[in-house]
Amino acid sequence: MTQLLLFNAINGLIIGAFYVLMALGLSLILNLSGVINFAHGGFLVLGGYLAYALTPYVGFWGALLIAPLLTAGVGFVVERLMVRRVYGRDPLYGLLLTFGLAFILEDGTRSIWGAQGLPVSIPAVLARPLSSDFFFITGYRLFMVGTVAAAVFLLFALLRYTRVGIRIRAGTLDLDTVSALGINVRGLRSLNFAAGIFLAGLSGVLAGGQLGLEPTMGTGLLMPGFVAIIVGGVGSLPGTLLGGLLIGLASGVTAVFFPSASEAVIYILMAVVLMVRPHGLLGEEGLLT
Amino acid sequence: MSAAIEADNLHSFYGKSHILHGVGLRVAEGGITALLGRNGAGKTTTLRALIGLTPPRQGRVMVFGVDTTHWPSFRIAALGVGYVPEGRHVFPNLTVEENLKVPLERPGPWTLPRIYQLFPALADRRRNRGRQLSGGEQEMLAIARALLLNPRVLLLDEPSQGLAPLVVREVFRIVVEMRREGISVLLVEQNVRMSLEIADYAYVLDDGSVVHAGSARELAADPARIAALAGATAEQWTDP
Ligand SMILES: Nc1ncnc2c1ncn2[C@@H]1O[C@H](COP(=O)(O)OP(=O)(O)OP(=O)(O)O)[C@@H](O)[C@H]1O
Ligand SMILES: [Mg+2]
Repeated sequence: MTQLLLFNAINGLIIGAFYVLMALGLSLILNLSGVINFAHGGFLVLGGYLAYALTPYVGFWGALLIAPLLTAGVGFVVERLMVRRVYGRDPLYGLLLTFGLAFILEDGTRSIWGAQGLPVSIPAVLARPLSSDFFFITGYRLFMVGTVAAAVFLLFALLRYTRVGIRIRAGTLDLDTVSALGINVRGLRSLNFAAGIFLAGLSGVLAGGQLGLEPTMGTGLLMPGFVAIIVGGVGSLPGTLLGGLLIGLASGVTAVFFPSASEAVIYILMAVVLMVRPHGLLGEEGLLT
Repeated sequence: MSAAIEADNLHSFYGKSHILHGVGLRVAEGGITALLGRNGAGKTTTLRALIGLTPPRQGRVMVFGVDTTHWPSFRIAALGVGYVPEGRHVFPNLTVEENLKVPLERPGPWTLPRIYQLFPALADRRRNRGRQLSGGEQEMLAIARALLLNPRVLLLDEPSQGLAPLVVREVFRIVVEMRREGISVLLVEQNVRMSLEIADYAYVLDDGSVVHAGSARELAADPARIAALAGATAEQWTDP
């Protein structure tokens, strides 16, 4: 029983790590550009498949870095050509545009790599379980959590200690004033969008190693990403982090007792949080602190 | 004297409401130009037109001889235009020091250590968040932030608003200090007496039009004129 609980808690942690990565990217883009990026799952898929295509040339480790960077590059171009045109307009424009982009990305991958799932091979060092007692803790699972932790740590450090990061945080509250202080806010938004897409690409690479690749694999992570943002409090990145971990854990632990409710539980959790704190856990005073 | 900023025939709108009706003004280089007028006269709208936040629908803005009328605000600011918005607009979620790291780093004499020297109160509170500061400290931070851009001209929108008399005096002292540093200043104020004391030239705006332009000293010497220019609610902005 304890082992089962531990197994599912670890599982939840891993799921939570993916939610966090997705939600942080969504949150970055939402906070600075006011766009709810429905194409985020599409970029995740792109990242996964790019890694698959790159692995024969640069190996797993090379692909782990290069695929998200390439995905971010695509995101950068897409922002410049399309997404920036909806800034400041009715949110509906952004929803429609990114919804369309999601289909394009998904069908694009399907037509290049096929609708069939693809297996992804991971390095042998990562494939082994840690011990026979804890057979479910494979090296790859630890590696995923570690990589997500490193990415989150890096993101928060960049936002906290670099001028670009400080300007992004300033811009989430008052972009006009940032612009009036001489900062090219168009470039800032492009860069920030690309950073968010980098995280989506990274999720895709990591998820591919665990579950294999499928053109629809991004869809299942998108809604929990939004739920994580809402649970944590819109506008607060630490809140998003907390929200992602919480709903991941809740979903993992619920799988022990009510397996059928493991997906519904995150929405129940969201409802409960919103009843107690309408702005989410860190929403009110936590604005990007 | 040449002009730091020259605006001609500005017409600005918020949606359908026509706010500025052909405003023209000139900010002389090296001087303090006051832009006065009662509530709702269009002072803030004029400043926003100059910095590009509310671009005019008609008219022309020249900054240091460059036509900037349809430029985004960050390009105008990058020419050396510092902007201290009405209500300060300090970033509340950022620490004082982070607030000071937002502006573009144009080369020039203003550096973080020098700013802390001029504003010791900010140095003491460098790790506090913007929202934790008093009104006076927020105003100092907004001015300091604009200075770190190393501006050649500074646009100040009601820097004395809501501050205690002692702090107001400190703000005006700093504005005079800016002129000594060679920075041209456009000062929007409702505190007419103190503004005219330090300004070289003054404009009075009413209902979106310039109703008076002339030497600040002459206007200061003519209280009846000030009252007449301001219309019915003169006492509101001629006081104290
Ligand atoms: N965002 C806005 N939308 C619609 N109307 C506005 C907006 N901002 C200002 N106005 C209107 O434009 C007119 C000029 O406003 P503005 O803020 O420029 O005046 P002001 O001289 O700066 O006044 P104050 O001394 O109160 O700051 C006012 O009638 C005001 O109601
Ligand atoms: Mg105003």
